[in-house]
Amino acid sequence: MLYHFVLLMTVLACGLAVNERAQAHPHVWVTMAEELLYAPDGSVTGVRNAWTFDDMFSAYATQGLPQKTKGQFTRDELQSLAKVNVESLKEYAYFTYARIDGKRHRDAFTDPIDYYLDYDPKETVLTLHFTLPFKTPVKAKDLQVEIYDPEFFIDFGFAEKDPVRLVGAPTPCTFSMQKPNDGNFPSSLRLDQAFQTSEANAGMGANFANKISVTCP
Amino acid sequence: MKCGAEAAFARRIALAVIIIAVALAAGAAPSAFAQATPFGAPRPPEATGLTGWILAQQSHFYRALSGLVRAAKTDGSAFWGLIGISFSYGIFHAAGPGHGKAVISSYLVANEETWRRGIVLSFASALLQAVTAVVIVGIAAVLLGATAKMMGDTVRVIEIVSYALIVLLGARLFWVKGRGFLRTLHEVRSEAEAHGRADHDHHAHAHDRKVAHRNHCGHDDAHARGLACDHSHAHDHHHDEEDEDVLPWGHAHGPEPEELAGPGGWHRGLSAIVAVGLRPCSGAIIVLVFALAQGLFLAGVASTFVMGLGTAITVAAIATLAVAARAAAKRVASRRAGYGTLAMRGIEVGAAVLVMAFGGLLLTGYMVSERMGMF
Repeated sequence: MLYHFVLLMTVLACGLAVNERAQAHPHVWVTMAEELLYAPDGSVTGVRNAWTFDDMFSAYATQGLPQKTKGQFTRDELQSLAKVNVESLKEYAYFTYARIDGKRHRDAFTDPIDYYLDYDPKETVLTLHFTLPFKTPVKAKDLQVEIYDPEFFIDFGFAEKDPVRLVGAPTPCTFSMQKPNDGNFPSSLRLDQAFQTSEANAGMGANFANKISVTCP
Repeated sequence: MKCGAEAAFARRIALAVIIIAVALAAGAAPSAFAQATPFGAPRPPEATGLTGWILAQQSHFYRALSGLVRAAKTDGSAFWGLIGISFSYGIFHAAGPGHGKAVISSYLVANEETWRRGIVLSFASALLQAVTAVVIVGIAAVLLGATAKMMGDTVRVIEIVSYALIVLLGARLFWVKGRGFLRTLHEVRSEAEAHGRADHDHHAHAHDRKVAHRNHCGHDDAHARGLACDHSHAHDHHHDEEDEDVLPWGHAHGPEPEELAGPGGWHRGLSAIVAVGLRPCSGAIIVLVFALAQGLFLAGVASTFVMGLGTAITVAAIATLAVAARAAAKRVASRRAGYGTLAMRGIEVGAAVLVMAFGGLLLTGYMVSERMGMF
């Protein structure tokens, strides 16, 4: 009887816990196209992001913004919103994480430059463009850039067409992408199995979401 | 002998309570980690199996909403599709964070509420959530033409108020339940001392304390009277010392319907409803604004209320589970007179602490239930 009691209470607790644990429920979907920018000397100077939001969030984000032509927004009309966006993104480290030669870098980027928003009147979606310069240009054999929201309020996914480009990279450099695989929707829920393991192991065989790996021999 | 067995029982109950606390802490932890290390390391929690499936469903329904709102512009029958999907979305969405499942469940456990009251609380708070969403978007976007940032800021203020109310609610429960626990502890001790004296006759030093509590429970007949003694006394204390609006915790059989309808009846849960339901669901706000942009604000309003209905069903189901678990615990506990009651008081205190903890974590941002995007 006592065991029943313990069992029931545990079930209750787990019920509550699972529900708080299932914290991931995005309200924003981002389709991203990423460019890694190279300097002539072969170092990576920054990451240029183009994030397209889903139509509902785009409608929400543009609510109340002044517009000359209904159903359209010019870049100027959207500039103040773009500013708010990139400033707010700072708090979340731009959801962009770099690992250089296997080593995680904290604050690898400076504040974004060249940011603006585009509105596609046909698809009624917004695209946020911004460039994250590396604080110091990265010359590495192995560079990884990951983009995801750890709290999963934003569901990031690569664009189908040209999701990653290396701009001005030395020819021997190659890149590979790791998408959250396994076909389960929502795809970004593929997880880092190494979450609980030590930092040293974190890069080994981990199944990271939305990872770009560039190798330059 | 008897004392030893009861102490062991109490230890086991304590263990169960600890297990619950740990499980809950584990549940809240991932977001806490995410907050603590803003760089790199944290990732979304593992979402496979049932949780993953629920998440997939709710994402699927949410994404379907936009197409249906668009379709409803030209095709009237799409409206019913929108309603159906909104309902399904609400059911699955509420399985995610927020919507006060944990707070409502803990509140029900702490306050020894009935399942009926749990269901009413769930529906009322979900309804309030829908109303706040419609009011915010209705006033801000429709009347004032406010931007998303302004709406986001409004929601944030409401959020802070709501979380603070949850902390207050928990603190009040803790105060009331904590005193109840201490009182029961007192009674159980004096009862145990009575036993000790009868069994071993070497507890002379306890004499003074025992006399002080003679009025609580006659020590000679304490054993024979067992739980009944404990209960009647707890009940008396309640009426002597407690607020009118708190259930007597010594009440073994749950509140009678007359009590629920009587003074301080339904409105007693109002604080919980407001604390939990004040903060609108981000999804509902986004859908409302999207519907407004499509010139179909009323369809958005309908969708929001139907979503709330779905949410209420999920929350009510979980709340009912919590009430059932508590009732089961009580059945077990009632087999051991004093210690069983003490264990129940302990569980109530624990649940009150949880309400406070949820509120505190939400208020300080260590637990994030919703975020509106990047504003």
